Amino acid sequence: MKFRYAMVCSSNQNRSMEAHSLLKKQGFDVSSYGTGAHVKLPGPSLREPNVYEFGTPYKHMFDDLRRKDPELYKRNGILPMLKRNLSVKLAPQRWQDNAADGCFDIVFTFEEKVFDMVLEDLHNRDQVLLKSVLVINLEVKDNHEEAAIGARIALDLCEQIEAVESWEDSIDDIMVSFENKHRRKLLYSISFY
Amino acid sequence: MVGIMNPVSREKLESLSSSVKFAIDLGSKLELCRQLKHDLLEEDAADLSEFLPRIFDLYSDPSGPVRKFATEIIGEIGVKHLEFVPELAPFLITVLEDATPAVARQSVACSIDLFRHTLEKIAIRGLYSSELDSDLESSWSWMLKLKEKIYSIAFQPGSGGIRLVALKFVEAVILLYTPNPNGSLEPPPNEGTSIEFNITWLRGGHPLLNVGDLSIEASQRLVLLLDQLRFPAVKSLTTSVIVVIINSLSAIAKKRPAYYGRILPVLLSLDPPSFVIKGVHVYGAHHALKNALLSCLKCTHPSAAPWRERILGALKEMKAGGLADLALNQVHKINGSVEEEKDDSLLIKEEKPLTKTYDAAGSNVGRKRSGTEGSSDLAEKDEVAGKRVKATPSASEESTKELNRNITVSQGDISSTQSSTRKVDVDTGPVQQLVGMFGALVAQGEKAVGSLGILISNISADLLAEVVMANMCNLPPTHPHTDTDDELLEDMCIVGSDTQAKYPPSFLADVISLSSTFPPIASMLNSQQSVPNKIVIQKTEGEEEVDVVADPNSALAYAGMAHEDENALLATDLPVSSNIVLPGMKIDPPTPSDIHDTGNLESGIPGLDSSFRNDGLSDTQAASSLVSTDIEDASQEQATSFGGKSPLHVLPSISIDRSEELSPKAAVTDSSSMVSSTATSVVSSCPFVLPKMSAPVVNLSEDQKDDVQKLAFVRIVEAYKQIAVAGGSQVRSSLLAYLGVELPSELELQKVLREHILSDYINHEGHELTLRVLYRLFGKAEDESDFLSCTTAASAYETFLLAVAETLRDSFPPSDKSLSKLLGEAPRLPKSVLNLLGCLCSPGISEKAEESQSGDRVTQGLSTVWSLILLRPPIRDVCLKIALQSAVHHLEEVRMKAIRLVANKLYPLQSIAQQIEEFAREMLLSVVNVDATERTGAEGLISESHKDSDLEKSSNEHQSMSSISKDISADVHQSDTSHSGSSPSVPEAQRCMSLYFALCTKKHSLFGQIFIIYGSASKEVKQAIHRHIPILVRTMGLSSDLLEIISDPPSGSENLLMQVLQTLTEGTVPSAELIFTIKKLFDSKLKDVEILVPVLPFLPGDEVLLLFPHLVNLPLDKFQAVLTRLLQGSAHSGPVLTPAEVLIAIHGIVPERDGIPLKKVTDACNACFEQRHIFTQQVLAKVLNQLVERIPLPLLFMRTVLQAIGAFPALVEFIMEILSRLVSKQIWQNPKLWVGFLKCALLTKPQSFSVLLQLPPPQLENALNRTAALKAPLVAHASQQNIRNSLPRSMLAVLGLAPDTQSSSQAQTSQAHTGDTSNSEKDAAVTEKSKESSSAS
Repeated sequence: MKFRYAMVCSSNQNRSMEAHSLLKKQGFDVSSYGTGAHVKLPGPSLREPNVYEFGTPYKHMFDDLRRKDPELYKRNGILPMLKRNLSVKLAPQRWQDNAADGCFDIVFTFEEKVFDMVLEDLHNRDQVLLKSVLVINLEVKDNHEEAAIGARIALDLCEQIEAVESWEDSIDDIMVSFENKHRRKLLYSISFY
Repeated sequence: MVGIMNPVSREKLESLSSSVKFAIDLGSKLELCRQLKHDLLEEDAADLSEFLPRIFDLYSDPSGPVRKFATEIIGEIGVKHLEFVPELAPFLITVLEDATPAVARQSVACSIDLFRHTLEKIAIRGLYSSELDSDLESSWSWMLKLKEKIYSIAFQPGSGGIRLVALKFVEAVILLYTPNPNGSLEPPPNEGTSIEFNITWLRGGHPLLNVGDLSIEASQRLVLLLDQLRFPAVKSLTTSVIVVIINSLSAIAKKRPAYYGRILPVLLSLDPPSFVIKGVHVYGAHHALKNALLSCLKCTHPSAAPWRERILGALKEMKAGGLADLALNQVHKINGSVEEEKDDSLLIKEEKPLTKTYDAAGSNVGRKRSGTEGSSDLAEKDEVAGKRVKATPSASEESTKELNRNITVSQGDISSTQSSTRKVDVDTGPVQQLVGMFGALVAQGEKAVGSLGILISNISADLLAEVVMANMCNLPPTHPHTDTDDELLEDMCIVGSDTQAKYPPSFLADVISLSSTFPPIASMLNSQQSVPNKIVIQKTEGEEEVDVVADPNSALAYAGMAHEDENALLATDLPVSSNIVLPGMKIDPPTPSDIHDTGNLESGIPGLDSSFRNDGLSDTQAASSLVSTDIEDASQEQATSFGGKSPLHVLPSISIDRSEELSPKAAVTDSSSMVSSTATSVVSSCPFVLPKMSAPVVNLSEDQKDDVQKLAFVRIVEAYKQIAVAGGSQVRSSLLAYLGVELPSELELQKVLREHILSDYINHEGHELTLRVLYRLFGKAEDESDFLSCTTAASAYETFLLAVAETLRDSFPPSDKSLSKLLGEAPRLPKSVLNLLGCLCSPGISEKAEESQSGDRVTQGLSTVWSLILLRPPIRDVCLKIALQSAVHHLEEVRMKAIRLVANKLYPLQSIAQQIEEFAREMLLSVVNVDATERTGAEGLISESHKDSDLEKSSNEHQSMSSISKDISADVHQSDTSHSGSSPSVPEAQRCMSLYFALCTKKHSLFGQIFIIYGSASKEVKQAIHRHIPILVRTMGLSSDLLEIISDPPSGSENLLMQVLQTLTEGTVPSAELIFTIKKLFDSKLKDVEILVPVLPFLPGDEVLLLFPHLVNLPLDKFQAVLTRLLQGSAHSGPVLTPAEVLIAIHGIVPERDGIPLKKVTDACNACFEQRHIFTQQVLAKVLNQLVERIPLPLLFMRTVLQAIGAFPALVEFIMEILSRLVSKQIWQNPKLWVGFLKCALLTKPQSFSVLLQLPPPQLENALNRTAALKAPLVAHASQQNIRNSLPRSMLAVLGLAPDTQSSSQAQTSQAHTGDTSNSEKDAAVTEKSKESSSAS
């Protein structure tokens, strides 16, 4: 695998982790991040979400929620999701704080808002290396089922990108063929490290 | 400076570089490169210079990554040791041409660093000396060459991936060449500190660099960049290039605001449609442009300001208005008051078109108002609109019209400004279009009523609800008060004169307070208040600014509301409307408060406004016009009468008065509103301004807001209950559902809604309302892209549905169909609901208390499942599983119900038949398989335990009271139960098999499986099967499938086959096919005659006779059964054989020939004789009659004769006849029968004497010798004269009545016969024995 990938959503829980998990299984060099201020998980009502800091281990959240209301969180799929997550990595990470993790070649986002935040963050960094990074937004609805579908599509796209020698030359073609194949709108941008 | 190179490191480096060269695989090569790079960077310049060629050499490597790495190393060396630039730059230039894009890109990336550092160094050196050394000069010239080369790449079309980096290079150069306004203006005091380079450090007189030239070059390059995006050129670019250029330009614009004015026109003129490149890709570039514009918007530099408006416009066009506002808001925060002026001018600009559009629309208040009326009309579904118009007092009609027009202007302003402020937030979707359509229709007046009706009837209630909700923000605040009998008011429970008549005052007051606390209205009023001079800010803050005005005291709240309105109107400089407010309000206890000052001073024009108000107040008081006093009086009166007296008689007069009063003033108002924005309006409007009170503005905490909202909602719900009779519930329930779901504290409200629904499911149209709520929640769950709200909505959906379903289950009788209907129509059934259904269908899993009701509940559950299976294909499998689980339930009642459903209703469905069959088969096999595995291990154990238990039983009987035996027996029971646990008990087997049996009746071929498993099944399972068979087979009847199974039964299934046949032949005539099949089976495979038994009655007599030996050979009990069958025959055909035929057939059996033990035959005879009512005297006589003619005589003939006499003594005469015939047949010839004959004679004496005397004398003598007991009576008999005379002498001699003349001869004969006798004696002994044994048996 010649590129380094990053999967980014807002809380680094559902969509990015689904994709992270899948790509990891396929042997990709992949990381995942969230762009939100906090990690928010659904609570008993919309007003009472469970809020954690980035860096809180998934295990901790898992135990916490299981203690609070195992029935509810099992039913809405949060506990299974956290269980999956803790098998992938330790804790959710924040995109904006990932400078130490090095350069990525391809960044996937799953929501336009997140896409914009990633781009803005990249533009705000000192672009000294001039190493290009491709940021792709694949709009995925934030629920469990869609996340699974989205991850598979992302994997497909990654494989196509992996197959060409340099994405800079062929990205437009890849995008066109991808859109024709999956009938999904993609958004991409190029930034520099 | 040629130092002595450290030999070790040199050697090391050399070996490293050569091993890089010769390393075989890429991975190790790269690893070595890394190592090499690390070591190289440690080296000092002198050593490196020697080593450089070797690195250049590395570049000749065939693999791209190694070349890339080599380039990277070169770049880093260059940055560290700028003196090498003259050597490195040519290298980099060649690398730019590299075939591998990644290597070429690396070269550009290195060049940027190198260029920056070189420039920096030269610039700083030049600051301190007027001469630069030649090395630096040549470095610079090389760098320039490199730069030119990269430029050419950047601007030359079609150079692919490398171009992106090259463009970035251009951006970097432009930034380097131009002064950074935010950078430090002075160079760092000493070289090497890490301050970002700024070209402004250069002053005149730098030996190499000239600021002016540099900036000229920068601007030239910028022009080139911009040209790329201009029309013809942009067409040839790829999206990625466009994206990079846009990003670069926006970065430049941001960092170098001086260029703002040059860059932005290009960006703005970039036409999104022109992004259609290769037909598809617009989004990327489009998005990049949007982001670029947004980031430009954030620029705070003064030169950016003039562009803001255009950017905003462009962004709005790109549908990024919200973001733009956000950005702008940030700008405002930053810029603070400096920008205020600009804002104002903006505001003015914006207002102009707004008023224009309003005018153009040409609608008056009527339009807006009747728009809302229209929507309420549809709730009522009749022509209230028409009625209402007529109901208006004619005297005031014109005036009100006039008035309306005036208000129109004012309100138009308000609402249009307001809608403009909202336009940003609210999408102009189909709902808005509909609102517009309604408005247009209503504006046409009564003639459009028809088309309105059509429109309404074509819209779903939900959409209508959306329209109403959307139109809420168009509601003019004064409207409720101008139009006294507005339907909407009634709907919204705000007071109107009609409703006043209907409802008690207390309710009215409640309603009023409700309306004032109703959040949308309140927030609207508030936002309006501050509209005039804060429009822009308002835009951004929008609805967040919700200062809910509420007061616990209803009267006060009412007043507060009134003042809200007044203030709102005042704030928009339209004092007229405050007049208009009055009639609607009617009751306005003039609280002598001075709150009106506190109201919205901050929103008014400072100073001016407050004075104006004071003026207004004082003027009104001074004028003390008739009107105001009237009203004051009235209201006071009303206030007092509020408790009990109906204010009805007062009110109309006032309102009419008011409108009359107002009509002449309308003209004035008109003019006043025209000039309202000026201070003169203060004067002109004075007379109409009444004492004003501002509401106390209370800032509520979040919790309080929640409470208020909840309270409001509860009131709406309650009010709806009361007006349910009015109809139009469709729209109302849509509204309720909308509110319940959309208001923020949704969970609580949904609980309220749920309670409302469940409190009276039928009368509150619970089903419809529930569905509406569910669909809303479902839509939310599906719609939201946000994980949080999506999951929460899904969860709320589940809770709601589950709660309603549970209540329906618990509170309604089982026969009720509500639950089924609800589940059938709900948009989605979550797992928990299906679980609920599962529990309903298979009771006893969780709740045991409800067992009593379970039967009906199960039916309810099952019928629900059935309808779900029919109606909802996607969850068919799950529902089917529920039904199937129920079909193997341990309670028979439940099971039978479920089986009926599955077999009768579901199994016929093609799509699921297979699944049902598989499940049933699995269950069936499970019984056998468990059994088989258990049995092999446990067989021995079982028999043992059986023995044990027998033993224990007997011991129990013996010492039943002893505790020891109890213990033991308990043990045994345990072992028994444990044993039954391992192999399924009968009920358990039935539980698992019933479904399969039921399916068999639907599909007969399935029945074969039962035959197959039967052989290996345990006793219990067999028992269970046997229990089922009669019903099953009777239901199935004889089909070809069944015949096929019968014709070839698997071995081991004989018993089953028997039962099947028995069942088949019971009570009906078996078909010829069946008989044929059975006969064939008997002939070919199964030699057991038993299988023929069931059909015996239907076989022809001769066939039966052929079979007779086999039948006799059956165990006695079975033979008896056969006998009965044969003799009774079937109901239709009569007996197959007569009793006589049977007996004859029995006697026809020759044990030796037929291979049947004699015992069996005698048993058969005995069996016949037992049934005396069938084998009667006559029958026997007939049989004996026939038998006696047989030659030879049947073996058992004499035995039968004896039995006949024993059974029917009356037959003796007949027997004598037989005996005499036997005599004539020389019975003595057959020793066995001869013994029997004699026995018979003895038994039948004295009647037999005559027969005996018929014997020839030698035989008589033999007989008398054998049975001595006969002799004396016979002699006595013969001595009688008449008999004696008839006897021949020889006879008499034998009897000893004549002189023994022939004694010698007698002796001779007797001797001659001794051999015989001895033989016959032996035979007799044999017969005797057999007789004994037979009697014993």
